[in-house]
Amino acid sequence: MQLGFYFDQTRCTGCFTCVVACKDWHNVEAGPASWRRVKVIERGKFPEVFVASLTTACYHCAEPACVLACPADAISKREEDGIVVVNPEKCLGKDSCELCLQACPYEAPQFSAEDDAKMQMCDLCLDRWAEGKRPICVDSCPLRALDAGPIDDLRAKYGDVREAIGFVYSAQTEPSITFKPRIDGARGDGL
Amino acid sequence: MPSEQKVIQTLCNSHCGGSCVLKVHVEDGVVVRIETDDGEEPQFRACLRGRAYRQRVYAPDRLKYPMKRIGARGEGKFERISWDEALGTVANELTRVKESYGPAAILFVASGGDLTYVHNDRAIDRLLCRLGGYTGVWGLASFEGGMFASRVTYGTAATGNTRDDLLNSRLIILWGWDPANTVGGVNTCWYLAQAREAGIRIVAIDPRYTDSAATFADQWIAIRPGTDAAMLIAMAYVIIKQSLQDQAFLDRYTIGFSQFKDYVMGLEDGVPKTPGWAEAITGVSAATIEALAVEYATSKPAALLAGIAPGRTAYGEQYHRAAITLAAMTGNVGIHGGDAAGRAWESVYGGYPYKLARPPKSVGNPVERDAPPSRVRMHWNKLADAILRGRAGGYYADYKLLYLVSTNYLNQFPHINQIVSALRTLEFIVVQEQVMTPTAKFADILLPVNTLLERNDFSAGLGTPPFYGYLNKAIEPWYESKSPVEIGIELAHRLGISDYDIRTEDERLREAAKTVGIPDYDAFRKAGVYRVKIAEPYVAFKQQVEDPAHNPFPTPSQKIEIYSQQLADMNHPQMPPIPKYVETWESGNDPLAERYPLQLVTTHFKLRALSQFENIPWLRELEPQAIWMNSADAQARGIANGDMVAVFNDRGRMIISAKVTERIMPGVVCIPHGAWYSPDENGVDRAGCTNVLTKDDYSPGGAFPYNTCLVQVQKD
Repeated sequence: MQLGFYFDQTRCTGCFTCVVACKDWHNVEAGPASWRRVKVIERGKFPEVFVASLTTACYHCAEPACVLACPADAISKREEDGIVVVNPEKCLGKDSCELCLQACPYEAPQFSAEDDAKMQMCDLCLDRWAEGKRPICVDSCPLRALDAGPIDDLRAKYGDVREAIGFVYSAQTEPSITFKPRIDGARGDGL
Repeated sequence: MPSEQKVIQTLCNSHCGGSCVLKVHVEDGVVVRIETDDGEEPQFRACLRGRAYRQRVYAPDRLKYPMKRIGARGEGKFERISWDEALGTVANELTRVKESYGPAAILFVASGGDLTYVHNDRAIDRLLCRLGGYTGVWGLASFEGGMFASRVTYGTAATGNTRDDLLNSRLIILWGWDPANTVGGVNTCWYLAQAREAGIRIVAIDPRYTDSAATFADQWIAIRPGTDAAMLIAMAYVIIKQSLQDQAFLDRYTIGFSQFKDYVMGLEDGVPKTPGWAEAITGVSAATIEALAVEYATSKPAALLAGIAPGRTAYGEQYHRAAITLAAMTGNVGIHGGDAAGRAWESVYGGYPYKLARPPKSVGNPVERDAPPSRVRMHWNKLADAILRGRAGGYYADYKLLYLVSTNYLNQFPHINQIVSALRTLEFIVVQEQVMTPTAKFADILLPVNTLLERNDFSAGLGTPPFYGYLNKAIEPWYESKSPVEIGIELAHRLGISDYDIRTEDERLREAAKTVGIPDYDAFRKAGVYRVKIAEPYVAFKQQVEDPAHNPFPTPSQKIEIYSQQLADMNHPQMPPIPKYVETWESGNDPLAERYPLQLVTTHFKLRALSQFENIPWLRELEPQAIWMNSADAQARGIANGDMVAVFNDRGRMIISAKVTERIMPGVVCIPHGAWYSPDENGVDRAGCTNVLTKDDYSPGGAFPYNTCLVQVQKD
């Protein structure tokens, strides 16, 4: 079984609530490390402007490049749910390594500003699944634009869409995500 | 084993426009995490500000102890003192000033920092009224123009519908309104998303391509600030010209349409208010104006949601009056899917047909018994001028003492450099605050106040469905901070005021719940939220429209007053009895525009609630405080994205980073307000605090002209 995310880009206002809720839940200080991030994409020329937002965490890829890249076996993929987890005690640290970050197409590996910080990243809220709850970002979104669950179920429910504005699907790593994307030049879902 | 974790439910009521559920995880008396509503839908989910509340509670600049100033005013040097000394000093100064100069020399100024029932500024209002009175200010900075226009035209400011009614619309117009940043009641954006998904057409009119426009709108119409009334009036021209108005509605429910029509068609002044006339003023093409007018008039029901930002301009009352008139002309008042186009921000204390707990009424201000409030009070924007000039400037008194509660006055009101001068002249300033704001730095005595998580309270929820919320105390107050009610009681004791309301928090809350008809107080407290069940979406003025014989509009004529005799009686050239386009000061045609050619708008920012949350690291890092400018304006000045630029006019100057974007129209720049004023040694603000630039004047109806301001921008 592989857990993953669904993101409805047509609903996202770029409000950052998911980012802050994640930092609070996982106790991540302000600074360069942010398990979830929001990117705003602006295109066009006044007055023909197009703006979309993309929220990104770790996509817990089927074939995670970070796991292969890590020289210290610090990153692993859990068999039972496909969540990619990091063991900071094994991590060699930002100053001497960072190979995971270079390998990841989505900048999921995060490092704090501390000297030789160990890698940290989205663990899909392992602790919350254990309590029967969905990830904090999913439960925080004021627009109900996020969902999480077994990726097969999500794709059955929402469709298997691998494109969104600001996102490039990596056929090599196979990110566990499906989208309802914005369409450039059109409002929302192109209605 | 970790210590036991408790989850305590409260509300974030932080003056953003929302009121949202927080589930606060507490371990050993410390907040460790915050979740939001996970109960029945629609849930009242908190935004990023509420989610960051933990950092607000434990902010390094939280005020821990009472303090007295030891440096110059504004310098920020303080020394810890005891509550006994602090309250003793405040009581002595109040007594001294009252006895030496009379009670009108005491200024009491408060704003909406705490929008809850028990712990708000009323504790000090009650105290000062018992002491002999005080001088207050008038005007609501956010929407005085909208309030004024709604009261004049409808007889009430309660003009809003519940947001679920948007799903009954065929067309939604977001006029100068960006709820993705300003919330506008929890779930407003959630209903806009559902409306969009239902295929309802949404149009946004704004100088900026806002987050709301980008997410929800089919069409963005960029308009010059301060010209909204001209576009609305030209839309009226199109509707009249094509006979698309709902004449039966106008005949039955309104007065004064014929006078308005004469003005619109040019019979009054020889100037037909055609789309071409408006194009030259607004920058919106005549064809666009005409198309929207036809669409609005023929897409019934249509909701014209008149945001309050265009009303925060010089003569902003005219925009609101024109919007209301257009809603009436199209028969969109009092029907499902329509909107009365009054101010689009539902007051905590008015608007819905269920009983709401109002803060206990003022016991009566003795100063305002000696003279009418209109003589005693000055408009907020003239407070600094009044302090500086007093009686010699025509004001009611000479002012000596300033008591500030729940307001970052220095930061949030226009013309900071004038306010700084004024604050330096006062004999005594006391500030109740949670953190070391720019205003707090000017206090002589600083009283630390606790936060929403450190006390019990009650609030009427701004949301759909309407609800009441119980704010359960999650943790003990931070160090020696106290609640506003505690401070009031202790000061009353020191001042020997024996008839002061000393009821406990619990007694007050039980009474509030009873007032609004909540049947089981303890169950309410435990659940945290009490939803008011309404059978269908609430629509303002539905009764007036369905059964006018028994439900007149609460105006002198009992109708919607397109023509207002009240306004005619004001006999003010910029406050005509029918809605008109009145050109603002500091418009693009002002001779001042030669030196200051850019129009500045100062918007709300999702990272802050006004100036609250400015000190929160989790929020500050998300987006830099920056001035938005179009690439055409930037290139003309050699400015690249991210450059530091100087923004200035005759009133002040700041250095701020530039965000070069296509999301704002040429000729207009935007700085989100609420950044904390931070002057360097030359008095140049380094934080990007908009009110170093804004003008301390006001409209005849009281509108605050935060969005009427000419500036120049140069590369630093």
